[in-house]
Order: sequence, then structure tokens, then C-alpha cells
Amino acid sequence: MPLFGKKKKETKAERPQVAVSQNETSYFGKNLRIKGRVSGNGNVIILGGLDGEFNLRGRVKVAQSAKIKGEVKADVISVNGSVKGSLAAKDRIHLDQTARVEGQITTPKLTISEGASFDGEISMNDRSSKPTGTRKTDSALEPPSTTAPTKKIDDR
Amino acid sequence: MPKDTSADSISLLSKNVRIEGEIQGPENLHVEGYLKGAVQLSGDIFIGNTGIVEADVEAKNIVIQGEVNGNVKAHQQLEIHPTGKLVGDCTAASIDIKEGAVFEGRSNMIKSSGTAAGSSSNSTSSRGPQIRKQPQPE
Repeated sequence: MPLFGKKKKETKAERPQVAVSQNETSYFGKNLRIKGRVSGNGNVIILGGLDGEFNLRGRVKVAQSAKIKGEVKADVISVNGSVKGSLAAKDRIHLDQTARVEGQITTPKLTISEGASFDGEISMNDRSSKPTGTRKTDSALEPPSTTAPTKKIDDR
Repeated sequence: MPKDTSADSISLLSKNVRIEGEIQGPENLHVEGYLKGAVQLSGDIFIGNTGIVEADVEAKNIVIQGEVNGNVKAHQQLEIHPTGKLVGDCTAASIDIKEGAVFEGRSNMIKSSGTAAGSSSNSTSSRGPQIRKQPQPE
């Protein structure tokens, strides 16, 4: 397989460059399946499958090919794919034309495009727009404090 | 299994994001964040400078610039860069450990999955020295 060897060399040369460009948006490709919990600070685009939980400070984009079972908590959530479970945003949620959502939505601001399918409940209480007022939701949205040493790692 | 159609996109786990759980699929993965659990990919995994992986990892090629605590299995090559640290056992067809790298654990060599067919021909050629058909990219 001569093609294979070539590819290997290319990837070796390219990769260090990828590491240098500090991309803040995580990207989970369409063939990637994750079971478990994704948390932290940053934006995420998911094209694959997630069975579990998103708990992020940032934006989550659920692309058309993505399938999520479980909970999604973030500042901003935009859905093009399918979600079974609950969506909770601090800021806003958008369901695009191709979205298929089954479950519960909690958000202060919501838009649903024509063509989107949504089967479930919506709760839009005004308190959640000011995160300091609601202690309960705040602690639930807070990622675990064990993520603290990121600064040290950064120095390297 | 459509394994060879895999390696067209690279998934990225960025610096301040952590995954606790299982990850699998025919994908390439670049880790700059924190990953705990288990990883099984038929693509490659690249653990960058800021990446910390506490998991058993299985992939085609594994490149470590960050930290790995767990057993790793590379169907082709395992590379540990000078900044890389591996604590755990490794299994690989080919190993490349750079000066400065840290590796604590046992090492176990396997035959590369791509060249497995070549090994059976060794038994017939008993006259000369055995020729290893390992890919040498250098």
C-alpha cells in the first residue's frame, strides 16, 4: 500500500502546525461517537454522536449529521441535527430547519425555523436570563472546579 | 469494515474542554484538552502540548506531545515527542521515542496490521535471512 506511506509522512509534517494555531472551537467529526460527559469552556461543533451530557460555557452547535441523546447545557445552542433529551441555554437556543428535537427546552430566548421539528416542552422563565439570581441552575451549569490548572498548562 | 475511508477529517478537543467517557469511531482526533475514559479509534490520535489523556488509547498512529496516563495501543506507529510523557504500557508495530520524552511502562511489539500477510511467506524461504516487510517511512 504505497498510498498509505505517503499519507503518513504528510500528516507528520502538518501536525505540529495544527498545534500552534490555538483553535478554541472543539470539533467532533461525524464518525466520532462519544459516550459520557463533555464539559469546560469553549465552543463545540458536533457532527457525530453523543450519548451523555454537554455542559459548556460557550456555544454548542449540533450539526445536521449529529445525534445526541442526553442533556445539552451551554450559553448558546444551535441545533441542525437531532437531539433526544433536554436543551438548556443561559442565553439562547435556535432550532434550524433540519432540527429534530424531542424533549425539554429551557432558555430565555428561542427561535425555531420553519421545517424544524420539536416534540416536547419549553420553559422560558425570566430568572434564568440573570444567572446570579438563580442559584440552583448556576451550580448545575458550573463545570467542576478541577479544571482550574489550565493556566499552568498554558505556560508551557 | 470501511476502515480506509476514515481519515479525512480531524476532530479537535480544544484546550479548556474535557471529555469524561468513551470515544470511538473511524476518525482522527487531536487532543489539546483533557480526556478521561477510553479511546478507540481506527484513525490517528494526536495528543498536543496541552493535552492530557487519562485513558486507555487504541488508534492507528499515536503521537504524544502532551501527557498520557494509561495503556496505549498503536496498530502502526507510536511517537513520543520530547515534550511527551507516557505512563503506561504500550503496544505498537513501530515505536519512535524522541530525546527528552518520558516513558514509564512496558513495551510490546506487534506486527503492523497492514503487513500481516507478508509474515506467512517467511516460513517457505528457509534458506536466507528472514526479510521483514515493515514499512520504513524514513
